[in-house]
Amino acid sequence: MSKSFIRITVFILAVLLLAPVTAKAASPAKGEPIIIGMPSSLKSLEASEALKAIKLAAEEINAKGGVKVGNAMRPLKVEEMETRDMEPGVPISDALLAIEKLFLEKKPHAVVLGPSRSEVLLAAMDLYAQYKMVSINVAMTPKFIEKYLQNPEKYKYCFRMGDARYVVGYLTKVMEKLKQDFGYTKVYIVVQDVLWSTAIGDGMKGWLEKNNWEVKGYDKYPTGASEFSSTMMKAKQSGAQVIVPIFDMHNSGILVQQWKDMKVPALMAGFISPLMGSKAWSTFGDKIEGIINVVFQAGNIPLKKYEPSTKFYEAYKKRWGEQQSGHMPSEAYDSVYLLVQAIERAGSLDPDKLVKELEKTDFVGSIGRIKFKDHQFIFGDDPKTSAIAVAYQWKKPGRRVPIFPNSIAEERIDKPSLMK
Amino acid sequence: MLVYGFINGTIYALIALGFSITFGVSRVANFAHGGLYILGGALTWYSLIKLGLPYFLSAVLAIIAVGIIGALIYRVLLIRLRGLELSEVITTFAVGIVILELLRSMGLMGYEYRLPLFWEGSVDIFGVPVGIQRIIIVIVGAVLLLALYLFVHHTKIGLSFRGVAQEEHTALSVGINPDKVSLLSLSIGSMICVISAVFILPLGTISVDDGYDVLIKALAVCIIGGLESTIGVIAASFIIGYIEVITATYISSSYTMVVALASMLFILLVKPSGLFGKSKEIEERV
Repeated sequence: MSKSFIRITVFILAVLLLAPVTAKAASPAKGEPIIIGMPSSLKSLEASEALKAIKLAAEEINAKGGVKVGNAMRPLKVEEMETRDMEPGVPISDALLAIEKLFLEKKPHAVVLGPSRSEVLLAAMDLYAQYKMVSINVAMTPKFIEKYLQNPEKYKYCFRMGDARYVVGYLTKVMEKLKQDFGYTKVYIVVQDVLWSTAIGDGMKGWLEKNNWEVKGYDKYPTGASEFSSTMMKAKQSGAQVIVPIFDMHNSGILVQQWKDMKVPALMAGFISPLMGSKAWSTFGDKIEGIINVVFQAGNIPLKKYEPSTKFYEAYKKRWGEQQSGHMPSEAYDSVYLLVQAIERAGSLDPDKLVKELEKTDFVGSIGRIKFKDHQFIFGDDPKTSAIAVAYQWKKPGRRVPIFPNSIAEERIDKPSLMK
Repeated sequence: MLVYGFINGTIYALIALGFSITFGVSRVANFAHGGLYILGGALTWYSLIKLGLPYFLSAVLAIIAVGIIGALIYRVLLIRLRGLELSEVITTFAVGIVILELLRSMGLMGYEYRLPLFWEGSVDIFGVPVGIQRIIIVIVGAVLLLALYLFVHHTKIGLSFRGVAQEEHTALSVGINPDKVSLLSLSIGSMICVISAVFILPLGTISVDDGYDVLIKALAVCIIGGLESTIGVIAASFIIGYIEVITATYISSSYTMVVALASMLFILLVKPSGLFGKSKEIEERV
């Protein structure tokens, strides 16, 4: 027998033996894919990072064999659609057309994340109802619940993992802490003039006035504004001890710059998106020291006291690099997992069966324990019992230190250097 | 309010100056202005942060690069469309969108794109603390205006600019090439646009969406002041700058943009060529 014959035989045997193993490793999930639609404003930082988180979840699930639907294992496939709803001047109707295009062309089985802007989500709910499209959304308006409760049967396909009201709840507790620790009672509110942030601003104003705080001013700035000196002057002259800023526009970095330049002796505690990510300290330097920011969901910041959040944060970092947005990626990631669980429990992709299973959700995710009430996830202070947000403070040398809720807090609140 | 209104006005003047110079000389309304502004900022950021070049060199390289792009816009695209005002507007607007959306798709998204301040800290002016960067912006605005005045009044090229601006055909009859002057005006306007970006952008972060805002602001200033008038641009800048600050202080910060743009509409109704605009031809264009 020639040497070459032996080599060929060994090679063929090796291929035959290894083929099933390698084939399984390369393509673990077979069958027709389950399509997850992701219509959102993909050029915004938040939605683009959320898309990466969705893809990460899909990759992890596919690597483990896919989704069990009845007796078949099926892979997940993510189909995104650009709605541009976060871009200035884009009409709601254009965003809706993009969502409908996704439904008609890509034929998704469910939608995750959905439009970013609240106004578009409210309009899209009718579209979801019309197409019986199960959706897990994240846009923040409290009007989602109002609309759902007006006609629960019609809007039963819509679920939501976000709400401006719980941000208010968190901020009010941070304010209580500030009052308790430092005796602060005077506050100035400044928000971006869009639905979700004015909802938080209005909610804060109402609560603060009822709870013996003096609201020294309440300013709203249009998206794109780049001059905030009048607010800073008024805040300084009024003796405000806390400024509550609520902004998701990039120009809000200028607000922080003016706060520092004008030496306003007030602590900033709110939501400023440019200061959210881990790179903000290298971008703005120690100007942001002392600022308290609220990350809308755990997982978008790693927590020493809640391991699933750190697990997601690190997995994202390993796959895509450091995330910079304070909301959307972690809830988008968890949405895929709880959707998959619902599909497996239902053993079907039938939207009505999926809705029933999603209503029974009890899932431990990166944002905490997820359950729904009135199709809105339940929010609380302890990740073991509910989803949580995280208030953190920027401290030297560029650390984001969780300070609230107490279940995950790592340090106490420090006064900014201007107030010491 | 007086101090910040003044600074705000200077920022508007810097933003609009490049647009006004280009239009004043070549009669080209360069709607790529916002795109070039952000491109200049992004190029400076890239050279400074990614390539590690010194700040000054990064800025100079960006100014030169965008100046060349401005010249190319004229030489490649606009020279074929001279006199077709609507086509010029559409073409430059398209160029601006292409630049901005290309930058976005190349990853200019997020909050880490920020030029460092030239000087940290703040000083008191009439008892109002003002960031030193803003004071630098005011100084740069004044220096740029002086330099432009000297350029157009005391240099051969500057005088040819004025010649073409006053009467293109007469300028041609005395040996001035209007196409060459127009090309230079687009290039210089683009460079001024980047100079303003290099000084203003450190106040915040570099964002593609800013490109659209910058174009709207430049247009508002130029229309109020008179498209071809540098004096008009300066006056209009301070009008809008103060209107914004006064509105935010005494009415509501929600209306800052509305009031500024409404004032533009009012001026158009009362004086269609702008406060200092003179040309009937331009009135018709507006």
